[in-house]
Amino acid sequence: MKTRLAFSLALASLWHRRRVLTLVCLTLTLSVSLLLGIQYLRTEVRQSFTSTISGTDLIVGARSGQLNLLLYTVFHIGDATNNIRWSTFQRLQEDQRIDWLIPISLGDSYRGYRVVATDSNFPEHFRYGQEQPVNLAEGEWFSDVFHVVLGAGVARELGHQPGEEVILSHGGGRTSFSNHEDTPFRITGILEATGTPVDQAVYISLEGMEAMHVGWESGVAIPGRTLTPEKTRGMTFTPDAITAAYVGLKSPVLTFQLQRALNQSAEEPLSAILPGVALSELWRLMGQFEKALLGITGFVVITSLVGLVAVLLTLQAQRAHEIAVLRATGASTGLVASLHVIECVALALVSCLLALAVGAGLLTGVAPWLLDNYGINLTLRPLNPTEWALLATVPAAAALVGLLPAFATWRRTRTQGLGEIGE
Amino acid sequence: MTSTTETRHNPAKDGELALEARDLGFQWAATQPMLRFPDLTIPCGEHLFLQGASGSGKSTLLSLLSGMQAPHSGSVRIFGSELQRLGSGARDRFRADHIGVIFQQFNLVPYLSALANVTLPCRLSRVRLEQTRPDPDSAAKELLGLLAIPENHWHRNVTRLSIGQQQRIAAARALIGSPGIILADEPTSALDADNRDRFLDLLLGLADKRGASVIFVSHDRSLSRHFQHLIHLGAES
Repeated sequence: MKTRLAFSLALASLWHRRRVLTLVCLTLTLSVSLLLGIQYLRTEVRQSFTSTISGTDLIVGARSGQLNLLLYTVFHIGDATNNIRWSTFQRLQEDQRIDWLIPISLGDSYRGYRVVATDSNFPEHFRYGQEQPVNLAEGEWFSDVFHVVLGAGVARELGHQPGEEVILSHGGGRTSFSNHEDTPFRITGILEATGTPVDQAVYISLEGMEAMHVGWESGVAIPGRTLTPEKTRGMTFTPDAITAAYVGLKSPVLTFQLQRALNQSAEEPLSAILPGVALSELWRLMGQFEKALLGITGFVVITSLVGLVAVLLTLQAQRAHEIAVLRATGASTGLVASLHVIECVALALVSCLLALAVGAGLLTGVAPWLLDNYGINLTLRPLNPTEWALLATVPAAAALVGLLPAFATWRRTRTQGLGEIGE
Repeated sequence: MTSTTETRHNPAKDGELALEARDLGFQWAATQPMLRFPDLTIPCGEHLFLQGASGSGKSTLLSLLSGMQAPHSGSVRIFGSELQRLGSGARDRFRADHIGVIFQQFNLVPYLSALANVTLPCRLSRVRLEQTRPDPDSAAKELLGLLAIPENHWHRNVTRLSIGQQQRIAAARALIGSPGIILADEPTSALDADNRDRFLDLLLGLADKRGASVIFVSHDRSLSRHFQHLIHLGAES
């Protein structure tokens, strides 16, 4: 067959009909952009989600399900079922298999953001993403009982600077009526944005957590019994209990051994979870939704392709004369039919290229805004093989749907006489 | 169906026959009567005028002669090749190599320029390409010049040209690469009298120079004086 002639005729024909086809091409471009964009975001969100926490081998808390433990320790969603005793934590500190421990104590809030009481192991050992540490954007980590470090999201949202004083609230919730008025905390530092729940919390020392709760044993402040920063000088505070602990092991081989030992602990009912496994399970739950979304987008693309074929079939009536001329000049039925397939695929390819340009442009434009306003870190990266494959299905599908008008033309021209144009 | 054949010149030339049709019959559907066509014998370089009223089967006969449709009986030979023996793909190639076609109207591919329309046969047929001297573009320009298409129209969108110009461009396309046979299906019916005679003179003059046989279909008997052979297709009784 005359391949070169077929291509040059198909392209000339597309150019001739560009006014009608621009709209079809635009529809297809938008739907392909949507398909590609959702697949791209899926990969990015999954990547950022499953690396919310890394480097931590186990998370230990009171006995509960692994999703619950993961949700309240890592995502600060929901509440702990129970605390773990300080003595249990101390025994863990003495365990030879354990390299480091980050204690976590939850319960209070600051204007809707969780207060996380921890110690200096947090900046030293906590990792997210590709083993990235949490760095300070400004100031320094807390060194005193009434020092507080803010996550990037909290500082951005509330416009705080280091040196300012804040009042923490008792319990959770955005508007709490019982505030720790007597014990203001001074902001010493602000963390860098991480795109993880770390940004949405404020960090104080375990001692600070204890100190501000002196006099609150009954759940409300008893006047005269609470402390003031001046009174705490020279005092030491040891917590009775903490909420959970992140555990780093000396050797990852020991992970399952220690997990079993902790889960069967006789002294206190504990649960130890592998954060990676728990994150995957959580993603599987939410993954159904994003799969459905991708499926819907697939249908959008199919709808656009059907629209494309509808337009091409309508144009067929206008093309009867030129097909009669081509046939009379000696073009085979195959060549005439192949024009439809080539035109379909060419339109799909143009749409894919435009969609890539639209996607890249949108991403470069929107990424800084997303990071500033939502702490979502999206970067422009080359497409991965799955995304290329998804993109390649568009011209492939176009070739398939192009067979419809091609077959119709082939069947009709096969029985048509010289110069005939009708059915 | 009745038919009359007049032969004005002696067909008994020594040269081979351009076209020979015997006992042609065609049926559009099993329930319709069989159309029967008179036998044709056209020596190389001689022209045939096919005259008949609407519905007399002129277009059907051209479809059979061009190999676009297969007859239910009889045979068509062009330059000694029997069309029915060729497969449909081979018939398409044969048509591209040896036959130029001009329709009544809508002769041009709308998205090609006048020049590209004329060179189209050279891109479909190696034979036509090889017979085009010195190259398709120059040959097409020469033909367009001879057919009085102004040079500034050569690269123009063909749909903006007048019907007369479109028909002359179609004639150039039929003539390029010197095919042995030119089938013309009422090519002058959309033209006024002046244009019609000019068109016919140009077409037959250029065909004579290239030794091509023109098979010209028209209902207008007054044109028949330009042709050596005349066949009248009678309307169905």
